Amino acid sequence: MRNFIKKTIFYIPHLLIILVIANDSLLINTWISPGPIINLKYILLFYFCFYQPDRISVIFLFLLGLVFDSLHSTPKGMTSLCFIVASKLIYFLKKKRTRTNFQNEFISFGIVLASVQILTLIIFYYFSKSSPEYSLLIINTILTLVLYPLFRYVLQCFYRYQI
Amino acid sequence: MNATKLAKSSAVGTAVLERTFKQKLLTPVLIGVCFLLLTLDFISFRPIKFLKSLVNDVITYSAFIINLPVNFTADTTKSFFELFNFNIHQENKILKDQINKLISEKNELLFFKNENDNLKRTLGIRNQGEYAALLVKVIKEDTSEFGKSFSITKGSLENLELGQAVVRNNVYLGRISELNILSSKVMIVTDAGSRIPVVIPSKGVNAILKGDGYSNAELLFLPPSANLDNNDQIYTSGTDGIIKEGLYVGKVIVKEDKNKKKKYSIELGFKEHQLNYVSVLKLKR
Repeated sequence: MRNFIKKTIFYIPHLLIILVIANDSLLINTWISPGPIINLKYILLFYFCFYQPDRISVIFLFLLGLVFDSLHSTPKGMTSLCFIVASKLIYFLKKKRTRTNFQNEFISFGIVLASVQILTLIIFYYFSKSSPEYSLLIINTILTLVLYPLFRYVLQCFYRYQI
Repeated sequence: MNATKLAKSSAVGTAVLERTFKQKLLTPVLIGVCFLLLTLDFISFRPIKFLKSLVNDVITYSAFIINLPVNFTADTTKSFFELFNFNIHQENKILKDQINKLISEKNELLFFKNENDNLKRTLGIRNQGEYAALLVKVIKEDTSEFGKSFSITKGSLENLELGQAVVRNNVYLGRISELNILSSKVMIVTDAGSRIPVVIPSKGVNAILKGDGYSNAELLFLPPSANLDNNDQIYTSGTDGIIKEGLYVGKVIVKEDKNKKKKYSIELGFKEHQLNYVSVLKLKR
C-alpha cells in the first residue's frame, strides 16, 4: 500500500501535465477567463523540471508535445521541440546558478518562457502557412509570467518543498 | 570500434552504452525527429496526410476519454447547483409565455418566407444551392494561444469538406478547419484567424467578421458611412460561395466614447462551452 502511494505521488506531475495538455488549462482559460490568458503547461513543466529534474523524461515530453500539436492543429513537432528545449534550458540555468532563491527562479522562468515563445514564432514563420496572433501571445506570456508565483505557491503547498 | 564491441560483449558494457545513449544522444535524436516531423507536416503529401489524420483521430478520441471524468465533475456540479433554483415555477411560466410568442412569430415568418419565395420567382432570382444538415456531437473544445476550436465526431468518411459551416439552431458557430477520417476540427468564429463575410440587412451593409481570440468578434471593412444601431442583426452573406447565406451570427451593440464617436461590438448568437450537438451544413449535389 505504501509502495502504491509512493508510486502515485511519483506520477502526479505526469498526470497533472497530461490533464493540462488534454484540457489546455480548461479551468482558467475557458471557465474563469474568456480566453487563453495563461500557459499552464509551461508553468508545470518549469516547476517540475526545476525541482524534480529526474522525474520527467525527454521522451515523455516529446510524446506530450505531439499530443498537444494534434489537439491544437499546430505544426507537428513544434510543441515537442519547445518542451525539449525548455527542459534542457531549465537544467542549464539551474546548474549555472549557485544559489536557488525565488528571484533566480523567477528570472530563469522568464528566460525559458521568452525563449520558448520566440522559438514558437520562428517555427510558425518557417513551417506553417498560418501565423499566430501576436497580441494574444504577448498577453499570454506576460500573464503567465505574472501568475507564476501564485501557481508556484500552490504547487509548493501541495508538495511542501521549501516554503 | 573495438571498444564498442567489447562494451557490447558484456551486460555491464551494454548498460553503460545505453546510459551514454540516453545522456548524450537521446536529446539530439529527438530534436532531429522534431525537425523531420515539422518538415513532413509542411510538405504534406498524401501518405503523410493519411497518417496524420489517423494519429489525430486516435489522439482526439483519447483526449475525449481522458476528459470524461473532468466533464462529468463539471456537469454534476452544475446539476447540483440547479437543485437550489427555487424560482423554477416562475421561470417555467416565463418560458411558456416565450414559447407562445415564438410560435406566433414562426407562423408570421412562414408567411414572409412564402412571400419572399414568390417574389424571387417573379423576379427570376434563383436561390443558392440547397444545404443538408448533418447532426454531429462535439467531442472536445480547445482553447489555446494558437486558436479556438472544437472537435466533432464526423470526418472525411462522412464526406465532410474543409470550410463547411457548422451551426446550431441556425446560428453560425464556425467552419471546418481540419479534416480527419473519423473526426474534424471546427474553427470557432471567435478564433483570431477566423474571417467571414457578413451582412447587416437592416442597413444594407456588408463587412468582414473577425474573431478576437477571446470570446468576441469585431467588424472589419465597414463603409465609413455605415451608421449601425443597437440590436442590428448580423447574418452571413454567403459571398464566399461556401458558407450558406442568411445564417444568424449575432447582433450589434453600440457604445459611444467621450467624443460621441460610435464603437461597435458584437453579441454573438451562441455561448461557448455549452455546445453538445451541432450541425454541419453540406451542399446538396
